[in-house]
Amino acid sequence: MLRYLLVRTAQTVFAVFVVATLIFLGLQLTGDPMENLAPPDMSAAQVEELRKAYGLDRPVYVQYLRFMGHLAQGDLGISFLSGEPALRLILQRFPTTLKLVLAALFIAVFFGLPMGVGAAVRADTLTDRTLRFLSVLGISAPTFWIGIMLILIFSVNLGWLPSSGLSSWKHYLMPAFTLSLYRIALFLRMVRSTMLDVLNQDFIRTARAKGLMERVVVYKHALRNALIPFITVAGLQFGHLMAGAVVTEKIFAIPGMNRLALDALYSDDRPVIIAFIIVVAVLFAVVNLVVDLFYAIIDPRVRYA
Amino acid sequence: MKRIGILLAFVSALAFAGGDQLVVAYQGGAVTLDPHLRNETTTLSWQHHIFETPFFYDREGKVVPVLATSIENTDPNTWILKVRSGVKFHDGTTMTAEDVAYSILRAATHPKSQMKAYVGKVVSARALDEVTVEIKTKVPDPLLPAHLDHAAVIPKAYMEKVGEEGFQKHPIGTGPYKFVDWLNADHLTLERFEDYWGPKPDFAKVVLKNIPQGATRVAGLLSGEIDIAEKVLPQDFARVERSGRATVKQTPGVRIIYVAMDYWREYGSEGLPEGAKNPFLDPAARKAVYMAIDEEAIVKKIMGGAATVAQQFLAPVHEGYSPKIKRFPYDPEGARKILEDLGYGDKDGDGWLELPTKDGKRVPFELRIDAPNDRYLNDAQIAQAMASMLRKIGIKAEVNAVPKKVFFPNMTKGHFTLYIAGWGSMDSINTMLSMFHSKDPEGLYGRFNRQRYHNPEVDALIEKAASTFDPTERDALLQQAMEIAMVQDVAYIPLHYENVIAGVAKGIDFSPRPDEYLHAFEAKKQ
Repeated sequence: MLRYLLVRTAQTVFAVFVVATLIFLGLQLTGDPMENLAPPDMSAAQVEELRKAYGLDRPVYVQYLRFMGHLAQGDLGISFLSGEPALRLILQRFPTTLKLVLAALFIAVFFGLPMGVGAAVRADTLTDRTLRFLSVLGISAPTFWIGIMLILIFSVNLGWLPSSGLSSWKHYLMPAFTLSLYRIALFLRMVRSTMLDVLNQDFIRTARAKGLMERVVVYKHALRNALIPFITVAGLQFGHLMAGAVVTEKIFAIPGMNRLALDALYSDDRPVIIAFIIVVAVLFAVVNLVVDLFYAIIDPRVRYA
Repeated sequence: MKRIGILLAFVSALAFAGGDQLVVAYQGGAVTLDPHLRNETTTLSWQHHIFETPFFYDREGKVVPVLATSIENTDPNTWILKVRSGVKFHDGTTMTAEDVAYSILRAATHPKSQMKAYVGKVVSARALDEVTVEIKTKVPDPLLPAHLDHAAVIPKAYMEKVGEEGFQKHPIGTGPYKFVDWLNADHLTLERFEDYWGPKPDFAKVVLKNIPQGATRVAGLLSGEIDIAEKVLPQDFARVERSGRATVKQTPGVRIIYVAMDYWREYGSEGLPEGAKNPFLDPAARKAVYMAIDEEAIVKKIMGGAATVAQQFLAPVHEGYSPKIKRFPYDPEGARKILEDLGYGDKDGDGWLELPTKDGKRVPFELRIDAPNDRYLNDAQIAQAMASMLRKIGIKAEVNAVPKKVFFPNMTKGHFTLYIAGWGSMDSINTMLSMFHSKDPEGLYGRFNRQRYHNPEVDALIEKAASTFDPTERDALLQQAMEIAMVQDVAYIPLHYENVIAGVAKGIDFSPRPDEYLHAFEAKKQ
């Protein structure tokens, strides 16, 4: 087990360096960062001074070696614009995004999982069709539109919920729901189809034949087997949300790391962009590891030796 | 049900806003609280609550003393600045000439200072005594007092003690509000500074927030969470007014939206058919396009009234604004006639005007209009409207609206024939040097003159104005340059000034500034 963890950690470190290299090179292709970094009223000579101060006047390979050298020491550089360490800027917003995403995933699992099981058990009934129809809506409704509609209804017309920020539990309801809607629908459809697969297998027939209660058959035998793909998808969704809640963070003015990354992208604040991508890469690696470990808990056949 | 909702909204409105706290929502947020690091409107707007500068522009565009009381030049490169006495920093220490000199020099010379466009000519600043600073410039800068509006004053001793990172954690200035708490680019909480030297602001506590989405800012305004929301979009005006809770305040701004046309390539201009002659080297053809644009209609229909028709490039608050320059009247028939007289008439009878090519053929007058689609208010729609107006006079115009990140580099590289963009600066000399002066090899002048307008007479007038210390004389020179450029040469087609817009909750007296800075300390209780 320990050996397995060590190998995985080494893989992650390697992946971070590969990702960092790709991002560094990719950013070189996006043109001259000074176009967006320098205020438009500076003269060309002043822009060059600024370029030098940011260290962008060196040849690309020198910049790259310096960047990698610092990265090896855990230093992701100073934000061009704020003068603060880029990693600190990202990490001070990380918990906000994490809390929002966990709330959204909780809602999504809370509704999506039982609805998926229900739809599978009552396959092709009215309940099933209604749920599937609603799930199509949930998957296709744009986040942007849902967010704005929720704000109009619950903040402006009803005045029940605050429209922006993330400072009390009330603040979480609308953005978390906005983020979860797509996932509720996704989980519903996924759990339904895997459950249907499992329910048609021989061991379920055996379980029923030996006279087990239907509830035990469904929740103990069938669901347990349907959970592995579900956890894989849920884990991936966690990663996607952490790095993709940008629209929701923008609409509800939530100080999460996605919005910071978007602003950094617009102003070409490269240290912040790179810090964000690296944090996300590490996060994905950790999530994948946790998901793999979960397999072993749920499915006794899986062992990591 | 609805009644309960309204009641709850009312209660929560009381809980959120009102009282002694003012919540202001911006479209962006300050990215740093080091006052010399980032020159960008929202960052500076937030910082202005904490820091002040020796001089600043008032709402009428006049330069007024703030932390200075007077300034005069003993020779073209030397200025003597008198410092206001009795000004306290937030840590209780008294501001001295030493602090002012240190701050001006830091803004002028810090490697990462973005204020060099303003104070970059300063080579030294030193305190002669407790209240006198001597500033020396490399080359004469008649506008130095105005340029000191970008030299925020910070306490030298404190900065040297805590260092730059420490300073950002707890910035100290002389402004009407002192720092309490912030999250970079998200919010800044401030408390009234009771030892402030000037008139104290009405609100004891101020929260500045970054709410990027226009609809969310308006929602917060209507639900009572926000007292002042900047950049309310025209489509929300009616809703705000109808709510009875807030009202929309507009001020004509200094940001002009303009049209520029290729002024240098006879053939090979990139927004015209392959091989076609560029008609816009001739001021008459530029004038024809100008006359084909119904700007009143653009302001009314596209901008929803959130803009003011521009008569010329500079706005009335600017130095160098000439009351003599008026728009060429909207006259589509006249415009078409001009182009026909220039030889671009429709000979094959397909309804489109024609352009000659290098090899003597004629091709339809197709024209690509380049515009950004995420930079100015309704920018892509303005381009669309302009295209349909040009089609009416026989120019087959198409719009190419792209994100600003693609648009501006393309314009800089010259990939255009005609484009729409904007420009905003309080400093007319800067505007004239950047937009109207011809490009020079060193890149000092004409940096944003991407269409390469050039007229030696205008260049000479601008250069002379830039080194003239007498304000009246300078104003006259700028007006003269502007009259030649706008009327005789049709250097640009001015469209409109974007209005500066804010939604203001009932009970608060506030109106936006033309320079787009939004200051909570200018809000009053009604």
